[in-house]
Amino acid sequence: MENKTTVFTSVHIAMLCFLFGCTSVTVDQVKHEDVELHQGDSIVVIGRRTGSDYETEPDLIACIGSALSQTNTALNVIPESDFVNKLYPWFEARTAPVHVQDLSRLLSYEKISKIIDEYQVQYIVWVDGNTERTRSSGNISCGLSPAGAACFGFGTWDTKSEYEATIWDYKSRQLVGKVSSVADGTSYMPAIVIPIPIVAPVQRHACQTMANQLSNFFTNK
Amino acid sequence: MRAFTNILFKKVFLVTFLLSLLLMSCKSTVDINGYFPSPVINKLPYSIGVIFDKEFSSYRYIEKSEKREKWEIDVGDAQVKMLNVVLKAMFSNMEVTSDLQSTSGDTLDLFFQPNLENFQYNVPYETKGNMFEVWLKYNMKVYDSQGQIIADWILTAYGKTPSEFLKSQEAALNDAMVIALRDLGAGLSLRFSQVPEINKWLKTRGKSNTPPTNIVKDKIVI
Repeated sequence: MENKTTVFTSVHIAMLCFLFGCTSVTVDQVKHEDVELHQGDSIVVIGRRTGSDYETEPDLIACIGSALSQTNTALNVIPESDFVNKLYPWFEARTAPVHVQDLSRLLSYEKISKIIDEYQVQYIVWVDGNTERTRSSGNISCGLSPAGAACFGFGTWDTKSEYEATIWDYKSRQLVGKVSSVADGTSYMPAIVIPIPIVAPVQRHACQTMANQLSNFFTNK
Repeated sequence: MRAFTNILFKKVFLVTFLLSLLLMSCKSTVDINGYFPSPVINKLPYSIGVIFDKEFSSYRYIEKSEKREKWEIDVGDAQVKMLNVVLKAMFSNMEVTSDLQSTSGDTLDLFFQPNLENFQYNVPYETKGNMFEVWLKYNMKVYDSQGQIIADWILTAYGKTPSEFLKSQEAALNDAMVIALRDLGAGLSLRFSQVPEINKWLKTRGKSNTPPTNIVKDKIVI
């Protein structure tokens, strides 16, 4: 009976891999200080956009925020766009504080500290990284004729997501920890008449694992 | 045989028509559209007249290079919209004027005239990082109430956005452009008082506290 369940699970995983492509995720965490969230406290997840050759995707930040709210309903997560718009122009790519010490300088400006206080922000989570295609191979040819269109061939590509979240304590102006998530996956596209993309949801997995780890971080697990 | 020829002719016509449609749709047109928030800054206690000349307010970039895809990018409305929001937050009073003269009859301390000198963009196949990038180079001029030039400086802005699955090229370039305009607004609002000539003028005004005077149009010096 146990063997049957194992076989069934293996087949199930193999089918899922076939349908979506396979992804492996590595998560890491460093905690410098204990975190403490009180009733009504909020956190904000913001993308770090100082990289010259990549951009932390806004969709990924929204995904982490939304997944974090779903994973831990006690957490009040402020949407990035709301926070950044309300505090314009202090959290733009070229003006955002880079080090936690810069936060003190920024908060000496009364108007800014008042807005952040109104949000009841306890922690600011900066997410830096991106998802990129690391390798691709194969060939698909498509043809168009009066009889119709058709494609034939096989393509495959690897995708890597690498993100690091840095957590600042807004009240104590300290770096309290870091969480990183690295996800790799391979996608396939066989084409017999029509191309069938079997895409590995690498970024989605990186987002979900990052959200789970952040949730654990804030619940002191 | 005749029926077969008819079917073949119809199919060839359909394929030609579809190919023509594809070729026609090769040009990308973008009217930049985005949200520009009001900056959280202290207002300067001065009134300013802003001159958006026709070239600026209707700026449209048309790609002429044979080596690049055809793009038409309407920047004018978006840059006027952004500057209206930012300048209103920067000064206690702001009005749009057609030249160095108040249209409302109110006394104006300063006049501001922006000019987009250079617009550049990159699309993913031209970059290593699979990104849409936009560079803007503005020449900003500030005049006093007499129409005398106080400052003339260059302000640059940059915006980038990654290409995404199922996101159109037009939407991605629009996002990069909005980020660049926000960067411009940030640069203008945070560094305006630090432009040496403006800083000097602000210090002089703070000391002398002389009331601003209206200017006579034919005495304007540009």
